[in-house]
Amino acid sequence: MIARYSLTTRLTVFFTLASGLVLVGLGTLVAISIDRHFVELDRDALRDKIHLTREVIGKSTSPQDLKIRLDDVLHSHEGLFVSVFRDRDPLYATPDFQFPEDLIAQTQQARLGVASWKTAEREYRGMSASVTLPGSAEPPLQVWVAVDIAHHKHFMYALIQTLVGYVALATLVAGILGWWAAKNGLAPLRTMRSRAMAITAQRLDERMPTEEFPVEMADLATTLNEMLRRLKEEFDRLSEFSSDLAHELRTPINNLMTQTQVTLSQPRSCGEYQDILASNAEEYQRLARMVADMLFLAKADHGLILPSTEKIAVHDEAQALFDFYEALAEEKQVGLQLIGAAEITGDRLMLRRALSNLLSNAIRYTPPGEQVVVDIQGDVHGTTVDVVNTGPSIDAQMIPRLFDRFFRADKSRKQLDSDGAGLGLSITQAIVHAHRGRISVSSADGRTCFSMYFPSAQNIGKRLTTDA
Amino acid sequence: MKILIVEDEIKTGEYLRQGLREAGFNADLVHNGVDGLRLVQEEDYDLVILDVMLPRMDGWQVLTNMRRRGLEMPVLFLTAKDQVQDRVKGLELGADDYLVKPFSFAELLARARTILRRGRSGAEVTILQVADLELDLLRRRVSRSGKRIDLTPKEFGLLELLMRRQGEVLPRSLIASQVWDMNFDSDSNVVEVAMRRLRAKIDDAYDAKLIQTVRGMGYVLEAPQENV
Repeated sequence: MIARYSLTTRLTVFFTLASGLVLVGLGTLVAISIDRHFVELDRDALRDKIHLTREVIGKSTSPQDLKIRLDDVLHSHEGLFVSVFRDRDPLYATPDFQFPEDLIAQTQQARLGVASWKTAEREYRGMSASVTLPGSAEPPLQVWVAVDIAHHKHFMYALIQTLVGYVALATLVAGILGWWAAKNGLAPLRTMRSRAMAITAQRLDERMPTEEFPVEMADLATTLNEMLRRLKEEFDRLSEFSSDLAHELRTPINNLMTQTQVTLSQPRSCGEYQDILASNAEEYQRLARMVADMLFLAKADHGLILPSTEKIAVHDEAQALFDFYEALAEEKQVGLQLIGAAEITGDRLMLRRALSNLLSNAIRYTPPGEQVVVDIQGDVHGTTVDVVNTGPSIDAQMIPRLFDRFFRADKSRKQLDSDGAGLGLSITQAIVHAHRGRISVSSADGRTCFSMYFPSAQNIGKRLTTDA
Repeated sequence: MKILIVEDEIKTGEYLRQGLREAGFNADLVHNGVDGLRLVQEEDYDLVILDVMLPRMDGWQVLTNMRRRGLEMPVLFLTAKDQVQDRVKGLELGADDYLVKPFSFAELLARARTILRRGRSGAEVTILQVADLELDLLRRRVSRSGKRIDLTPKEFGLLELLMRRQGEVLPRSLIASQVWDMNFDSDSNVVEVAMRRLRAKIDDAYDAKLIQTVRGMGYVLEAPQENV
């Protein structure tokens, strides 16, 4: 429900409610304290009056004398009411004033009590006490005194009215201040919004102004800037990929078109036609392969290559690939050596493909007489498969770009290479990533090592649970 | 051998029919699933080449209906979508093979022949022979004109494949898959090198060359024809 309101409204409402609650509490506390204070005052006054009455009773000699003396005293005390009983028999009562019957009945037992009561038009507070006359054998007298407390009540009423008014007004002011504060406090959010609105695919270099923001927002802004930076990188990579793709396709298509049109421009012998068609077929196959590789990578990008999870003995796969590359390596006089053994959990076909790309690459760049070594090491955490070859080192600047699509370390080698379109290493990387592994390259002092790391099945499970 | 092609892309269909007819098959072509399903019930085909995306009734449905009606003839799926789930679905429904477009015709032909051969269990041969080349499967020996030739195990496997399928053009990808179990587009150079080495042993010393390169398609092993 509240989710539909703006943040400013929410903050204002919360702020108003909080201030209202605090103010109401404070007002109630003040009212209760003052009321208590009045009760205390009344109690003191009543105690005085009881004392006075006791003195008068002590001085009086007979009930008639008591009455005269009390009348005399009460005359000078406006608003004081007194009753004196002996065993419920009234000895004295202020004229025209009646204490409530039930109250008198109740206080028969209690020695001293304070009570307040209301009549139709006025409010009173009274106190009772039993008075034993010194040197008298008669039962004690019951004395009741009462004062009119209407003026206190009037005061309280006025006070509460003032308090309620003040609380209402103060809450309103607090609400307005809260709204203002929220609106101002959230101003950076609006700045962010307007900045964010300016960001498009073409203007990914727009950034949030972190210095102008309060700390909490600056964090958010920094995170957003980081996100924008990553998006820009990905986007740049993607646009570069698209233009590379267009270029990669344009060259063979251009060749095919030119060749076909030149062929058609005049009659030729059957053998020539066959040659042209065969050459075209080869070119088409290359294109088809490139498209298939691109699709594989596109699927990998969308997490659509789901590796099956069987146990694979990596050394067996490496051996199978050695058998495959044997002839090629022999012809290039490159030795193939396999060290170590380990198992990984993954997709056999994909793993083969990944390793095949690295091997083919390594054999290509190894000078005659040297060796390509596949080194397999496994432990409980995972398995590392290194493909190491000697030969010219890869330029350090090239290394970060090696796995980029269509990237060729050797720019002069084009198209007719068996390497295909320069997607091999990207595919290997995509496969390793699909297995939640890592791939890295190091190349120095005439030794190049491509290292694939595959976490073990338990390790993946562990990481999955921490991810979740 | 009768083959039915169910393909809605007119040009693709026509070329497939022409190619298969020229390869010696009796090929029919229809352009939608409903016609395809009707025809397989009326005629007795040895193989159905079925496109997945078809108007009126898609390839999956055609196959499901065929199997429900007890038609057990082999089916080869063609599809433009290469999704693992699709592949699994096709094979679960009882398809015999699966080709992703764009595919090479040589590949299709080789796969179709593999499927068609599967049914025929003829007497198990132990010696393959083409012209004066002889391959003894039991003793794993190869000789030409009576002269022993030493081959590595993989070379032997390669030659066996070529001889078993003599006269058929085998694309490189099929060779890589059958001989080395490399079921992906791998370095095609490897097959070329292996083939060159095999030729050096089989053909170089003889006038009659048995292994031929068919440019743009693959390799074929056959007895040389006298009059060409």
